[in-house]
Amino acid sequence: MRNTTRSVAVVALAAVLVGACGVSSSPGADATPGSVTLLAYDAFTPAEGVFDGFTAATGAHVRVVTGGDSGTVVTKAILTAGNPEGDVLWGLDNTMLSRAQDADLLESYEPVDTGDVCINYSKKWYSSRGLVPPSSLDDLVDPAYKDQLVVEDPVNSSPGLAFLFGTIARYGEDGWQAWWRKLKSNGVKVIPDWTTAWTVEYAGGGNPGTRPLVVSYGSSPPAEIVFAADPSNVAEPDSGVIESTCFRQTEYIGVLRGAKNPRNARALVDFLLARKFQESMPLSLFVWPVANDAAIPEVFARWAVRADDPLTIEPSRIGRNGRRWLAEWRTIVP
Amino acid sequence: MEDHRPVTNRGGAAARLRTVPMLFLCVFFIVPIAGSVARFARTGAIVDVATDPSLRSVAWFTLWQAIASTAATLSIGMPVAWALSRRRVHGARAVTGIVTAPFLMPAVVVATGVAAIVPSRGAVAIIVAHVVFNVAIVVRVVGPRWTMMSTRLEEVAADLGAGPIRTFVTVSWPLIRGSVLAATSLVFVFCWSSFAVVSILGGSSRRTLETEVFVRAVRLGDVRGAVALAVLQAVFVLLVLVIGSGRSNDDGWTPNDRSADGIRSGPATTIAWTGALLVSSPLVAVAIRSVRVRGSWSLSGWRALFDGSLERVGVDAWSVLGHSARFATVSAAITIVLGCLAVRRPTPSIVERISVLPLVISAVTLGLGIVVTFDRSPMDWRNRNWLVPVVHAVVALPLAVRTIGPAVRAVDRSLHDTAADLGAAPLRILTRVDLPLIRGAIARAAGIAAAVSIGEFGATSFLTRSGSMTVPIAISQLMGRPGPLLQQAAYALATLTAVACAALLAGA
Repeated sequence: MRNTTRSVAVVALAAVLVGACGVSSSPGADATPGSVTLLAYDAFTPAEGVFDGFTAATGAHVRVVTGGDSGTVVTKAILTAGNPEGDVLWGLDNTMLSRAQDADLLESYEPVDTGDVCINYSKKWYSSRGLVPPSSLDDLVDPAYKDQLVVEDPVNSSPGLAFLFGTIARYGEDGWQAWWRKLKSNGVKVIPDWTTAWTVEYAGGGNPGTRPLVVSYGSSPPAEIVFAADPSNVAEPDSGVIESTCFRQTEYIGVLRGAKNPRNARALVDFLLARKFQESMPLSLFVWPVANDAAIPEVFARWAVRADDPLTIEPSRIGRNGRRWLAEWRTIVP
Repeated sequence: MEDHRPVTNRGGAAARLRTVPMLFLCVFFIVPIAGSVARFARTGAIVDVATDPSLRSVAWFTLWQAIASTAATLSIGMPVAWALSRRRVHGARAVTGIVTAPFLMPAVVVATGVAAIVPSRGAVAIIVAHVVFNVAIVVRVVGPRWTMMSTRLEEVAADLGAGPIRTFVTVSWPLIRGSVLAATSLVFVFCWSSFAVVSILGGSSRRTLETEVFVRAVRLGDVRGAVALAVLQAVFVLLVLVIGSGRSNDDGWTPNDRSADGIRSGPATTIAWTGALLVSSPLVAVAIRSVRVRGSWSLSGWRALFDGSLERVGVDAWSVLGHSARFATVSAAITIVLGCLAVRRPTPSIVERISVLPLVISAVTLGLGIVVTFDRSPMDWRNRNWLVPVVHAVVALPLAVRTIGPAVRAVDRSLHDTAADLGAAPLRILTRVDLPLIRGAIARAAGIAAAVSIGEFGATSFLTRSGSMTVPIAISQLMGRPGPLLQQAAYALATLTAVACAALLAGA
């Protein structure tokens, strides 16, 4: 035990030293004129060479740095507000926007793309049984659809959270809890993450699971075609989308407060909003561009669903109530 | 107590060298953790967390699943360790490679494999996954000690009329007790703090303190609550490790004058292969899914890995494998050098004891600490790629010193004295006496460090990196999107990595 005591003493001493260092050192300001750093989540996978045009026009090289999923990236950005890890942030959506605003994270921000989180269903599962898939959130609590739905835990999963907000938008502050209780007694299965929900539980889209309904994206069907094991063999995706369940996610980009290369950062934001990059997004990120003049690739336009009248909630309302909703959900469902 | 004995000249040089690993741990582990604690830990938050009634059931589940997982792991791992170290088993190397492979696999892969063979979510699935993961620790920590026990001891016991159970209790157990305790405490700590397995297999009702730390910090934005919880958890885990290592016993070793694997045994082969099959079944499920599409066989996932069709989702298999191989090599080299400098005989050094700390700190806390402390010149390292292998080395170091330390301390002192009496210089003693005897342990530690680096997900995913996707991150990216080809390619990449690592470890 004596050795342990000493170890603890060393740790404590180191902590004091660190505290002292932290006070005395000054922020590093290594602005590099010829570069700009884009901070993004791991799933940010732009098309190959898409930034070449930007470099040619501005002389600045784009360094993409990633670090975790969107929640992790935004949490880190909030902790480092004012002394950021990059110049431009990609990864905020409307469910997190107010957290970023409260932390005074960004100098400016603009929508860059949109996408819907919707219930997907397996066409084959229903047609092979001669059944009709549900068409609304109301249907999901109908005993006819007992034990058929998989959702992601909203605490852990971004589509799960969007779906919860969608149900709050649909049933209101006083009604969503009762709907979720009914959903629970109708056998909903809650899975922590999208990956397991889709690949293990879902029966559609070539997956071996047993449940024909899953919370996923409006753009799952074109992804099934583009990433089919044998694309020439797939005329139509198995997954369909129940449009009335769609919650609209909007992603934002912004220049981080304290960015070391603010000029290049603003130029990069303009580039990301311009037609060339916007047209690359549907088949690399599977989202809809915000630029009106962007052409949509045919496979995406044909199969991706974008609800005409999606469920939405104001980011500021999410900011005020989001944590309380999650806490309530945790007492109702698991 | 040993620390107070007079320091000789040679001891002085070794002690100076020990400051190297100490400094490394200070800069890359203690500084960020202390920074995180200094910035976020508040007494009020710790009291709140300690008295939060909703956390009581979480803490209880964390505890009992860890105990159950550890017991189950030992009950499978010990017979396999016995078979491999005390008997000649057909295909022993293959068995060793197979049981070790899951330990290196990204947790998301093992968890998905377990999900494919265990139909329900919850405690059972979590325990199965923990067994699959951790049998390797029992085999790798206990096996080498058991191998070193002379077969004469067992023969003498048998000649004196002792049955197998009595022989085990009175002869083997006192000699392997230290390593069994060390393995038990390691397994317990891994099960206690495992993150990905619990978040994937637990369902939303089964939460542990480790997943709660992540949820609070990242999902709920309550960093103070998260760090408070992490501090309480670290104190508890540290206690467990102190108990596990405090009783370890380096005495009582006889040089192994007759190799135990001379004894052929059918039952031992059966036991070893049964264990290997149990442990590898989730990975077999993964391998099957990599070639099975909608009820028919297809190699399209394997082809997609290498024909460039995954570039659209940012995954290029060659560069991913290249990054992982480079990180693994660098991290193994750092770990081995630091590990060798850290160990001391006849008792473990302070550095060795401190090096276990990374095991007790959640990856989230380390990741947050790096973000908030390495943000000022001259330590503005937050998004440097070299941080990846360095953090891997921090995570691997506790395992490396636990592999190298006992081997160094088991070197018979009289060999040193004899060599010295014959006039050999210290360096010559080191290269001619020590190195040949501990070479195996160093190779094992290097394999483990490389494996940890290849499989590490938690801390890596928290680091901000540029163009340096590792295998686990690539797999989670591929699996995180719709599209059967991507799932298949993910399973193919996982299978490839498992096979490669198993081969690597069987060779070491």
